[in-house]
Amino acid sequence: MDTNLLNMILGGLANVVVVLLVAPFFQGVLRKVTARIQSRQGPPLLQPYYDIFKLLGKEDIESGVSPVMQRFATYLSLATILAVGCLVPLGFKAPMNNAGDAILLIYLLTLSGICMLLAGLAAGSTYSLVGISREMMAMLTLEPLFAITIVIGALHTQSFRLDTVLSGAVYQTAGVPVSGLIMLGVMLLSFQAFVQRVPFDMSEAETEIMEGPLMEYSGPKLAMFKYAQMAKLIVFSGLFIGLFVPWGSELLFPFGWILFWVKVFILVLMVTVLAATHARYRIDQAIRYFAALLAVGFVALILASNGF
Amino acid sequence: MDARERLNQLKEKFGPGIVRADLPCDSRLYVYVDPSVVKAVCRYVFRDLDARYVISIGADDRQFSGNFLVFHDFAFDKDKILCSIITHASPDNPRVDCISDIVPGASWAEREISDMFGVESVGHPYPKRLVLPDGWPDGLHPLRKDMDWNHVPKDYDENREFKFGETPAGCTVVPFGPFHPTLDEPSHFRLYVEGEVVRGCEYRGFMVHRGIEKLAETVLSYNDIPMMAERICGICGCVHSVAYVQAVEAGAAIKAPPRAEYMRSIMLEIERLHSHLLWVGLACHLVGFDTLFMQSWRIREPIMWMAEKITGNRKTYGLCLVGGVRWDITPEIRAELRVLLDKLEAEWQPVVAAVVKDKNIQKRTRDVGVADKVQCKDMGLVGPVARAAGVDIDCRRDHPYAAYDRVDFDVITHDTSDVWGRVVVRAKEVFESIKIIRQCLDKMEPGPLMLDIEGELPVGRIGISSVEAPRGESHHFVITGENNKPRRWRVRAPTYQNLQGVPGMIKDQMIADMTISLGSIDPCFSCTDRMETIDLKSGETKVWTQDELFRMVRARIN
Repeated sequence: MDTNLLNMILGGLANVVVVLLVAPFFQGVLRKVTARIQSRQGPPLLQPYYDIFKLLGKEDIESGVSPVMQRFATYLSLATILAVGCLVPLGFKAPMNNAGDAILLIYLLTLSGICMLLAGLAAGSTYSLVGISREMMAMLTLEPLFAITIVIGALHTQSFRLDTVLSGAVYQTAGVPVSGLIMLGVMLLSFQAFVQRVPFDMSEAETEIMEGPLMEYSGPKLAMFKYAQMAKLIVFSGLFIGLFVPWGSELLFPFGWILFWVKVFILVLMVTVLAATHARYRIDQAIRYFAALLAVGFVALILASNGF
Repeated sequence: MDARERLNQLKEKFGPGIVRADLPCDSRLYVYVDPSVVKAVCRYVFRDLDARYVISIGADDRQFSGNFLVFHDFAFDKDKILCSIITHASPDNPRVDCISDIVPGASWAEREISDMFGVESVGHPYPKRLVLPDGWPDGLHPLRKDMDWNHVPKDYDENREFKFGETPAGCTVVPFGPFHPTLDEPSHFRLYVEGEVVRGCEYRGFMVHRGIEKLAETVLSYNDIPMMAERICGICGCVHSVAYVQAVEAGAAIKAPPRAEYMRSIMLEIERLHSHLLWVGLACHLVGFDTLFMQSWRIREPIMWMAEKITGNRKTYGLCLVGGVRWDITPEIRAELRVLLDKLEAEWQPVVAAVVKDKNIQKRTRDVGVADKVQCKDMGLVGPVARAAGVDIDCRRDHPYAAYDRVDFDVITHDTSDVWGRVVVRAKEVFESIKIIRQCLDKMEPGPLMLDIEGELPVGRIGISSVEAPRGESHHFVITGENNKPRRWRVRAPTYQNLQGVPGMIKDQMIADMTISLGSIDPCFSCTDRMETIDLKSGETKVWTQDELFRMVRARIN
């Protein structure tokens, strides 16, 4: 077999394994740091692993309107995130470079949101429906931001290749990368929403709509969703780093690799601190906020298409 | 204006309509009026004399005067008078004129009188059951003296349903409760929601009424009741026990010794401290701000330890008896309490400073759950809800009890009428409570804790007492009776009025604001015994009966 193809497949698999292995750890870090901020002892760092195992070992209850669709949405949500994981560089070069391009990435990111809609719709309770209507509104204004960033990168480098776009392409202009810097600001301000943490966790707000789309899920299915959410934090961090702070990743192993995970760690800490110091926004407030960011994003896109 | 002048105003206006009056002291006024003018008197008192509506109370007085009695309690807060307008209904066809059309806040109380005594309010705008379960047979009224406390009706109809109103066009029904993570106790709101906006709601609560008042009138004695009164509420229990003993003391014209009064004030303020800190935490949790939730509960914990040190319990203090209190503060505890208060003040100041400046919390609470002065007046809203709307009422100052007439403190008000105002009022009241406890500790003199009461308490006297609970005015009404127990005891917790204001607060608001609006009154509910499911496809509503639920659980379906 072509060694190139083999490398590609092995690299993709390695990424998936890494994401699955470390995602709960970073969730553990998040929970521990949150606890310290709140003057609590906090759970052990490995608690998220235990939680996943516990949920996986529970009875698989079918309680929603269409169980088959619920099961499908569950697996699809984790699978989508892992597929994104295959495409994103996690300390090395993007492994599946030739298998897909930036357009595929944009599709997959949208699909991960759609899984949530599917899950809520299939569960069919009133609260799920309220939850997905919020999710949908948020998606419509939020998802284009990543697409815009990627398109800006592609405009600068005239390429949709993953390794090109995901190594700081947004900055590769002749002069000062105005559009790239604008998008950096925009993405920093919306990163919390992409990983669905407070103050942007309206679609599953426990105290308002009882976990929204997830309320009918328990046991192994809930484990999948939880796992997907943890993986999301890592994968999106990887994406963010690839797009905006790629420097140092080309260093010799293990330095580049270590540097990458340090950056992920810093991002996770940032998410944690933000989540711990804010109240949840209402959906209309959040949408207004996203819309403003989107407008700024479009300005950046126009600038980029004119070479800035 | 004192009570006598108020009485003269009424006499001048209604002449022979005022049958007789009783002025046991300067701050109480009991006016017996003819049933034909009760509505006019209430309108005059409520609208023209601008008294605050407190509660309406029914009583079965057939053994003594041959009639049912109905009391409408009002408060003249500026004059420091609590007033009761008393009328009667004949035993054969018990009817009184409804006052809910003039005093909208009387709606629940009148429904309750009709449930519990069968005294019908003629012309009530919403004459549905309030307290009794739907299956309870018609014509059986639990608080009538001829019904035993342990009577179980044989013809209880499990299948009878509560009839909710029509769902407005274009709206979907979102059931909020009976069980919801933000409701600490079961209660059912049926929200009519258009998109994300609440257009209306209907409430059904009281599903398992504990029958505390009936028990008190039948099987308990005067000094058993404070212990049960304390268990009315899991957070402000002490308030109820103090309010009850004060009502009995007012009726019997006795007064607890000064040291006992200081003890009552201290424990009430300790209770307010822990309740307010608890509420600020919960409110933050409701809007997803868990860090402040955890921090304010951390700050609260030492208060609970202090309460345990003084009374032996974190929560149910077992403090009051008629004529005094059971616990004292030793010099060591007094010193410890002072240290605790200093620490609490030092820790709470930065929290308040942070909250007041926090734009993020303001975003979720400003212009949310608005109840303005007019709503407060109409619905009889009390406590931080009223004070946040700029209504300057506080029973500790307006109707002083315990040792509050001997301490100096400010009544905190705010002018935004929204949830934000309620946050600010509660956060700042913590400092006033600290101030009050300090002054009490300074001024307390050694002395007896209990009054020696000789012989029986006088019979057939009315006693009313208002205590400022953390959530608002808690009002207790007692008619003293024979055999060492009250003839009638009525409890009106602040939530009874404030909850009636909630539909007005949440109308045309986002569904996300429902929880914090409801949370902002710091509600206490009763328990419930059924649940409702809604089939989304047909929109059909099915109420599961107790029996069906038992069967399902036993057969392990779902």
